[in-house]
Amino acid sequence: MMEALFDPRMLSLVADATWQTVVMVFLSTIFSMILGLPIGVLLHVTSSEEQGGIIPHPVFYNVLSRIVNILRSFPFIILMIVLMPLSRLIIGTSIGTMATVIPLSIAAAPFVARIIESALKEVDPGVVQAAKAMGSTNWQIILKVLIPEAMPSLVSGVTLTIINLIGYSAMAGAIGGGGLGDLAIRYGYQRFSPAYMVCAVVVIIVMVELIQFIGDRISARLIAKR
Amino acid sequence: MEIRLMNLRRNYGSLHAVDDVSLVIPSNTVYGIIGRSGAGKSTLVRLISMLEKPDSGEVYYNEKRVDNLSKEGLIEERRRIGMIFQTFNLFSSRNAEENIAYPMEICHMDKAYIHKRTEELLELVGLEGRGKAPISTLSGGQKQRVAIARALATKPSILFCDEATSALDPQTTRSILALIKEIQKKMNLTVVMITHQMEVVRDACDRVAVLDSGHIVEEGLVSDIFSSPKSDVTKEFLSSLTNVQESIVRWSKEGGHYTLRFRGNSTDEPIISSVSFSTGAVFNIRAAGVQVVNGEEMGVMMADIGPDEETARKAAAMLREKGVLVEEEKKEAR
Ligand SMILES: Nc1ncnc2c1ncn2[C@@H]1O[C@H](COP(=O)(O)OP(=O)(O)O)[C@@H](O)[C@H]1O
Ligand SMILES: [Mg+2]
Repeated sequence: MMEALFDPRMLSLVADATWQTVVMVFLSTIFSMILGLPIGVLLHVTSSEEQGGIIPHPVFYNVLSRIVNILRSFPFIILMIVLMPLSRLIIGTSIGTMATVIPLSIAAAPFVARIIESALKEVDPGVVQAAKAMGSTNWQIILKVLIPEAMPSLVSGVTLTIINLIGYSAMAGAIGGGGLGDLAIRYGYQRFSPAYMVCAVVVIIVMVELIQFIGDRISARLIAKR
Repeated sequence: MEIRLMNLRRNYGSLHAVDDVSLVIPSNTVYGIIGRSGAGKSTLVRLISMLEKPDSGEVYYNEKRVDNLSKEGLIEERRRIGMIFQTFNLFSSRNAEENIAYPMEICHMDKAYIHKRTEELLELVGLEGRGKAPISTLSGGQKQRVAIARALATKPSILFCDEATSALDPQTTRSILALIKEIQKKMNLTVVMITHQMEVVRDACDRVAVLDSGHIVEEGLVSDIFSSPKSDVTKEFLSSLTNVQESIVRWSKEGGHYTLRFRGNSTDEPIISSVSFSTGAVFNIRAAGVQVVNGEEMGVMMADIGPDEETARKAAAMLREKGVLVEEEKKEAR
């Protein structure tokens, strides 16, 4: 135990694992936004008029909504295993940090879509009606009205996504994904070194707190400017 | 721009929100549409302003039919109208001048022109130097001024106002109405003013249509409607203006109970005295007032006329001859 605490390799192992987690979370946040943002916008604009949809399309909305729900209810570990062949296809391997980014992005995308949808739903329908009355195209309503008006909620949503992805990425460690979760399991659990476990958990907690703090600050600053 | 509506209908399920409305809104006027809450005013204005399609009927701007335009045609035509709302509906993500710039931005106008036009508009609505203000820092009246500037940015020929003053206090309402009238003259606008307040019609409109359960029940010059209202809804709106609650008007038991409406030149003639002198009628005045409708004086008086029904009827007939509008109230006054 004391040995483990002063294990000289620990510092560099934790640093490496932290960096891997940061890379995984950063990339999968970006990719899940790229996948989830259009889906979220599509969900919102095709929802019923009462929900604020500007191009209501009940059939399309219901099908897409069902798919998003199914993907969201998939347990992450299972999704990961199912998507391993996809990782192998794209990255060339199914283990390691980069290979984890793909299932992480796909797992978070439906979550992002819902978060975007509900942020856009909060936009005052009167404001959208005004934009429509001035002759805005649908694209202009989406890009110049809905997204800017929803920005504070969107920032909160992205914050929540990043925090969720930190949690997911730790789980991904269990099946060879690298990062802090991997470190905690390999050293902390399999080699009975609680110090690694504690260290990994502390770093994860600090990361979550930091992201939450920054997200709240940006959101508050956006609201204060209004 | 003249607006013509032909047999417009819009149903929500089994509810006839707008039911066979035909109207001509002449160019270069402030045209009021008044009705109680739920009468169908907002639905009607959404139909006229191409925000919603009617179930049947037609809308024309001058000779152009606009209720069946293609998506592109619709967007192009909407860029030629302006609209303001009760809740202002400004973009909270943009400051005052960015709000005003929006309609020009979406038409891809030149940046330098947008800047110049924005300054012009801020001055027009009396908000010089407030362009950088976030929307939440503005008062209700200032917000509506920004909304007016935004609505006029692309020099439209029609301005729609849906309850534009309903969220404002009386003094601010007056200043906003004065601004709209001033702009109407300056820009030769056709203004369609939706409201549930008779004060707005009195102070700002040239013509008015009264809407009730989706129907137009009365239409005409504001001065005519004020001096000789025909429908019950209109009378009710007018009585809300005289500031007299009927419950506090105690009618006497003898004779008849009348509401008299005087207009224009008859307000400074001693009509009551001369009628009283020649018929022997006695007038017991319960409530009275004079108001200015579109620059014309208009008097309203609630009075008992006695001493008996015979004399009262004679007096009423004589008043009518002199151009006074006389209405007999029901015996069982509330
Ligand atoms: N989108 C809608 N769906 C269903 N009913 C509606 C809708 N809009 C308005 N209505 C109904 O139509 C009637 C007229 O509404 P509205 O035009 O808003 O009246 P006003 O503006 O005069 O208060 C009301 O009974 C209202 O409930
Ligand atoms: Mg309304």
